[in-house]
Amino acid sequence: MKELTISSDAPGERLFVLGNEAIARGAIEAGVQVAAAYPGTPSSEILETLAGVAKGLDMYAEWSTNEKVAFEVALAASICGIRSMASMKHVGVNVAHDPLMTAGYMGAKGGLVLVSADDPWAWSSQNEQDNRYIALQGYIPVLEPSSVQEAKDMMADAFELSEEFKHLFMFRSVTRIGHARGDIVLGKIARERRKGQFVKDRTWLVYTPREARINKPLMLERFDKIKKRVNTLPYNQLKLADGARLGVVACGLSYSYTLEALKWLGIEDRVSLLKIGTPHPLPEELVIKLLSSVKEVLIAEELDPFVELHVKAIAGENNIPVKIHGKDRLPRIGELSTRKVTEAIADLTKSKPPLDFGRLDKLEKETAPLLPWRPPALCPGCSHRASHYAIRVASKRVARDYGQDIEPIYPGDIGCYNLAYNPPQEAVDTTICMGGSFGIANGLAHVIEAPIVAHLGDSTFFHAGIPPLINAVYNKANVTMVIMDNSATAMTGFQPHPGTGYTAMGEKAVQLKPEDIAKACGVEFVEVVDPFDLKKATETMEKAIRFPGPAVVVSRRLCAMIEQREKRKRKEAIIPYRVDQDKCNEKCNACIELLGCPALIKEDGRTVIDSALCTGCGLCAQVCPYKAIVEEKP
Amino acid sequence: MTKEFNVLITGVGGQGVILMSELLGKSAVKEGLKVRGSEILGMAVRGGSVTSAIRIGKDVYGPLIPTGKCTALVGMEPSEALRNISFLSKSSLVIVNTAATIPFTVSLGESTYPDMEQVLEKLGKAAGRIVELDATKIAQEAGSRLTANIVMLGALFGAEQLPIKTAAIKETIEERFPSKAAPTNIKAFDLGYQACRQALK
Ligand SMILES: Cc1ncc(C[n+]2csc(CCOP(=O)(O)OP(=O)(O)O)c2C)c(N)n1
Ligand code: SF4
Ligand code: SF4
Repeated sequence: MKELTISSDAPGERLFVLGNEAIARGAIEAGVQVAAAYPGTPSSEILETLAGVAKGLDMYAEWSTNEKVAFEVALAASICGIRSMASMKHVGVNVAHDPLMTAGYMGAKGGLVLVSADDPWAWSSQNEQDNRYIALQGYIPVLEPSSVQEAKDMMADAFELSEEFKHLFMFRSVTRIGHARGDIVLGKIARERRKGQFVKDRTWLVYTPREARINKPLMLERFDKIKKRVNTLPYNQLKLADGARLGVVACGLSYSYTLEALKWLGIEDRVSLLKIGTPHPLPEELVIKLLSSVKEVLIAEELDPFVELHVKAIAGENNIPVKIHGKDRLPRIGELSTRKVTEAIADLTKSKPPLDFGRLDKLEKETAPLLPWRPPALCPGCSHRASHYAIRVASKRVARDYGQDIEPIYPGDIGCYNLAYNPPQEAVDTTICMGGSFGIANGLAHVIEAPIVAHLGDSTFFHAGIPPLINAVYNKANVTMVIMDNSATAMTGFQPHPGTGYTAMGEKAVQLKPEDIAKACGVEFVEVVDPFDLKKATETMEKAIRFPGPAVVVSRRLCAMIEQREKRKRKEAIIPYRVDQDKCNEKCNACIELLGCPALIKEDGRTVIDSALCTGCGLCAQVCPYKAIVEEKP
Repeated sequence: MTKEFNVLITGVGGQGVILMSELLGKSAVKEGLKVRGSEILGMAVRGGSVTSAIRIGKDVYGPLIPTGKCTALVGMEPSEALRNISFLSKSSLVIVNTAATIPFTVSLGESTYPDMEQVLEKLGKAAGRIVELDATKIAQEAGSRLTANIVMLGALFGAEQLPIKTAAIKETIEERFPSKAAPTNIKAFDLGYQACRQALK
């Protein structure tokens, strides 16, 4: 038998997949023809999966330059009657927010689905925003799965629903769906392939104040119909228990935690349960039925009290005397868990907790002081380490000319280079959003007297770095903007971008160069350096910082992870460095304290290099004041 | 069908923790079992802590193992096993690789690494049984230090508690690795299996 894959047309077969693969599979089953995305954890594997099978399925998949463009690509396909989707992490939806707020007015022709991958506990994000509120603002209905299987089924249905109501749908995933694993039962793959047709019709495609006023009531009508329909969707389910005092309303993934909690407590038949798969709009009829049948209700949902607010409103409007709990019992911060839900339900039902949780907490607390601190760090041989070092040395030199205790400021950005905010580098002073480094630098330039050296990566430059660069030129901001160009979107899994010369589907593309763009934008100082030539890189940085007016340095070197991988493929030897113990001054520690390379370690008081980790980048040899670090003889 | 069997795999970025859970999950599905699981990726990969859960059984719904409900903890690194102590109970089995990966914060003097006896004592107290082995050394015996994760997977099967047949996981390993690397990985698996049997005698 041929091995099953994510694109096998094998209805009924079971496949073990990552949640994001399940989401991609749902779209494949629905016959999606256009998929666009910008990488971001925990969403990236959705487009990666689709791009990998796109050709065979006669589908088009792209990594767009940013989320706004990705959404517009999908929207355009929908306008032409094609099933399309855009996927992004939660903060990516902020970038797509502008077209999104009018997309609700427009509705959809070809099924249109926006996947928002939220990240409770901000495992790999700068915040834990709850995108159900964005959906609320834009009149966009939300589908939220409780498991990997449901993620697949719901995603497939999302396109059907979108066409049934001629309206855009949001599919909201969270880290524990997208990065969960589970077995799914495959469905049939739709084989229909439509031909795009652009029918000119200003009444719903051209938004002037007139069309906004014409289309808003139409949007409200569509939304009202959806509001009725959600009561009968299989994703919302009410199970009333005879004589139950307590009812639980469990949204999305919280439903899985609630099922386990009730089982753990052994009270499945004593508590009524409403599963919510559409937090917006809520299935009002089901909510009323539950509220009228119990004395108390617990809303189990992650992050903000979104369902809670709406359930409370429904109770108020219908004068239902019921006590509603939510964020008074479960946290607004972070993820829920079986344990958290179990404790809340145990408390409300006066059941005995199945475990002495206090003892486990005590154990964890006692153990904590023993544990080493293990933050993520730049990889051994990472070129960002060298770029950061050059920036710091150069800007400190210049800062001295500004005055005795003037410190340079390093506005930073989102990407691997941000890992240098930890000791020993501590080379990042602000991190807010993609492109934020250059934007913040613009503002600082007008209020602070100090060298301002901002940095971002190549993918981030194309995504959101160009407008603030132009702004610096136009508004005469005296800042240095460093583009750390490692030929990848490394942090999110090495996806290609406009600077890499190939596309998501593996086709060759024009390779854009940040230095050409900077020059074209009117920057007068533009230089390209190899960060591993530390002396030259530092000198160039210094010149850039001293340049009166905006300056750009492109610090270019392939990501070490990719380089190592390619070397291994080519069977090229990786020659590590070693510390010559005769020359090394044990008390010095300069290499470790300046660079923090994970391959530089202390063993019985001596500084040594872990040859299994060292990539042979030679950076430490360049900073060692005793010339004690040398290349291992091959 | 098994009601609930929870495996927690812990380690450091680059140790192959995710691959272990993939192999386990795939094998369980082959055996007709229901599987759930979850992992932490993203910021945690660049040398940070990594954990991955694989849950097998008909009573399993959520992707995460509830505190105190871990059936078997497989620790690729001692301090990372200790970090997850609150998942253990008196009926848990712990299999721990004694080869430490010292984070760079220790070289910098920003934190300290616990001594092995302390780690083992704490884990031993919290769990039912504990098996220690130097998986990195065994992996070298098998032919590549990169197979330490497969050694540990072998050890997990060596405990003979899992509801998955050894033949099924071996088949998955063979499918996963190119034919050249497969024998080394199977050898690593077998050595881990035996080491665990030996330790439990
Ligand atoms: C709006 C938005 N989209 C996506 C992300 C996810 N993300 C984090 S870092 C990053 C880009 C990293 O690429 P690059 O700037 O080239 O730096 P590298 O990691 O390669 O060093 C992305 C896309 C985000 N944080 N915000
Ligand atoms: S993945 Fe690449 S860019 Fe990121 S820290 Fe490692 S070497 Fe540096
Ligand atoms: S040469 Fe030095 S800085 Fe480069 S990877 Fe090896 S130990 Fe680290």
